[in-house]
Amino acid sequence: MSVAVMKTKAELSFAENFGRVQEKLPGSPAVKQARQLAAEKFAKLGLPHRRIEEWKYTDLRASVKDALPVRVGDETKLTIADVIVALGPLAKLDAHRMVLVNGVYRKELSSPDRLAGLELEDLAGVLSRGTEASAELTGLTARDDDAVLALNTAYMTDGAVARVETGAQLEKPLLIAHVRAGSEPGFVAQRNVIDIGPKASAQIIEAFVSLPGAAGEGQSNAATQITVGNEAKVLHVKCAADTGEGITHLSNWMIRLGRETEYSGFQLTQGVGLARNQIFAAFDGEDTKFDLSGVFLARGREHIDTTLVVDHAVPSCESRELFKGVLDDQSRGVFQGKIIVQQIAQKTDGKQMSQGLLLSPEAEFDSKPELEIFADDVACGHGATCTELDKDLMFYFKSRGIPEDIARGLLIESFIGEAVEKVEDEAIAGAIMEFARAWLARK
Amino acid sequence: MLEIKNLHVKIAEEDKPILRGIDLTIAKGEVHAIMGPNGSGKSTLAYILAGREDYEVTEGDILWNGESLLEMEPDERAAAGVFLAFQYPMEIPGVAGLTFLRTALNALRRKRGQEELTTPEFMKLVKEKSAALNIDIEMLKRPVNVGFSGGEKKRSEILQMAMLEPTLCVLDETDSGLDIDALRIVSEGVNALRSPERAMLVITHYQRLLNHIVPDKVHVLAHGKIQRSGGKELALELEESGYAEYGEKAA
Repeated sequence: MSVAVMKTKAELSFAENFGRVQEKLPGSPAVKQARQLAAEKFAKLGLPHRRIEEWKYTDLRASVKDALPVRVGDETKLTIADVIVALGPLAKLDAHRMVLVNGVYRKELSSPDRLAGLELEDLAGVLSRGTEASAELTGLTARDDDAVLALNTAYMTDGAVARVETGAQLEKPLLIAHVRAGSEPGFVAQRNVIDIGPKASAQIIEAFVSLPGAAGEGQSNAATQITVGNEAKVLHVKCAADTGEGITHLSNWMIRLGRETEYSGFQLTQGVGLARNQIFAAFDGEDTKFDLSGVFLARGREHIDTTLVVDHAVPSCESRELFKGVLDDQSRGVFQGKIIVQQIAQKTDGKQMSQGLLLSPEAEFDSKPELEIFADDVACGHGATCTELDKDLMFYFKSRGIPEDIARGLLIESFIGEAVEKVEDEAIAGAIMEFARAWLARK
Repeated sequence: MLEIKNLHVKIAEEDKPILRGIDLTIAKGEVHAIMGPNGSGKSTLAYILAGREDYEVTEGDILWNGESLLEMEPDERAAAGVFLAFQYPMEIPGVAGLTFLRTALNALRRKRGQEELTTPEFMKLVKEKSAALNIDIEMLKRPVNVGFSGGEKKRSEILQMAMLEPTLCVLDETDSGLDIDALRIVSEGVNALRSPERAMLVITHYQRLLNHIVPDKVHVLAHGKIQRSGGKELALELEESGYAEYGEKAA
């Protein structure tokens, strides 16, 4: 049965805007064709809403009121000094930078040299060349029913296409910096495609940040595909710290893991008006370790959603998820974690934990762990907690002369610290903590 | 000087009175002991001095050096020199002992108008004070009190006291859960802090602790009131007779 639903203003605008910018979007005829199909798919699906089970807590149809003008070929003037300001704590990292401003790769703001073992191109260039690679890229929307991804395929302007060569050990992290700048509110779709070769080792950081003075409104739709080859090791971090009540951040991570890989992922999302972080991880080979953690920090009426699906399709893999949210005022945190253990995936070892710390009686944390286990020889577990700051502990701190704000800060830092510690690189973990401290200090 | 005047206290949001008119004066340099049966209000008195929220003062006042403590937040009381050694010290997962000590010490120093200590100065001080209490510095790198034994927790409380240098020390059943050796170490730590500038209130159920920390005066608290006051010999007398005459049956 199909029900005809009235299109919302935002849905109509997203569709209209496509016609307006279609010709300006980068890509060969094949890419343009794929964009057209994706736009049609989006028009059919519309924005996800609460009657779709996975979107029950995050109703985009209700909360995305309008489509902001699409940013294409942006040329906002920026200096490297501006980028450093926007990057905040990440600027101190000794990293190989690829900088994109309002969805467009900016060579002059990026690291000029080449990083040994890394092939790095901009997505727009790859799409325009119309090679086989770009055909593969546009086939990315394997998740057919996902309207957010369809929107990304239709509108993607630029991003990083990174390939780490077989056996290469990158000596620096690759920092892909998506910077929002300028006083005009806009919609930006970015896509990063990362391929870690067999036996390689790499650290990839995606940053979503803005320049002080950037428009208070902005919509970002980001998709990252990461493929990890056999016996490779990767640290994959996202810092979404483009703060503001009018900021919408929709993100998709699609992760494919080979045999005997070690994947460690981390997502920090703070101060974003509306964020939906989707993570889809699939195992293609045995004896792989997947570890994903995250911290989300919200206040005001901000809403941050993390929805992940981990698909154990082969035996003997390990998965760990630890997400911690600090929620103040009337903010809302959502965590949905689905772990699928297919019948063939014996000896799967999966553990999941989500924890919310509510700083206000009006804050809300919705946590939905889902385990679908079809194999019989597995060790899987999950947990979810929701707590307030301990009153007795606060008294203990204060009785030692520590004022309430410092005591709160220490307790919150220790709460999120457990997740941040999962990031084994000290400098990167330190930068994440610094972002979080800045968020805490803002109140 | 600590002056507790006609102090009446009840549990907030309940009508049941716990302290029913306490009068007590402790001059600087003096150590007073409060003894009493279970449920007499001893711990309530300790908490009310430190400023715990769960209680409500319905009458009376507490003056410390002429200033009322009642209007002060717990951290302001700490800055004014008040320190409570908890009967059950709290565990703080994720906050290292050294971080906790340093944050507290520097917060107090700021409030007292003193310069904050540098890292080397702080480390020198903490090494010196912890050695005296037989505390391994490695223990302080771990989260505060997490996984500590009863004796370790009490020593950690006394270390905090030694570091923060309060002028009014309130010890709530510091002897509970201690074996003989730990009791000796803790008592030595407390005795080292005795000074003409410092007043101490030692709360205990048993006389045992008072062999080590010899008080100038002993008070018997029962039914929310001080029933008797005397010299250190009163403690010995209670050890003999028990609290029967104050309404507690022999165990």
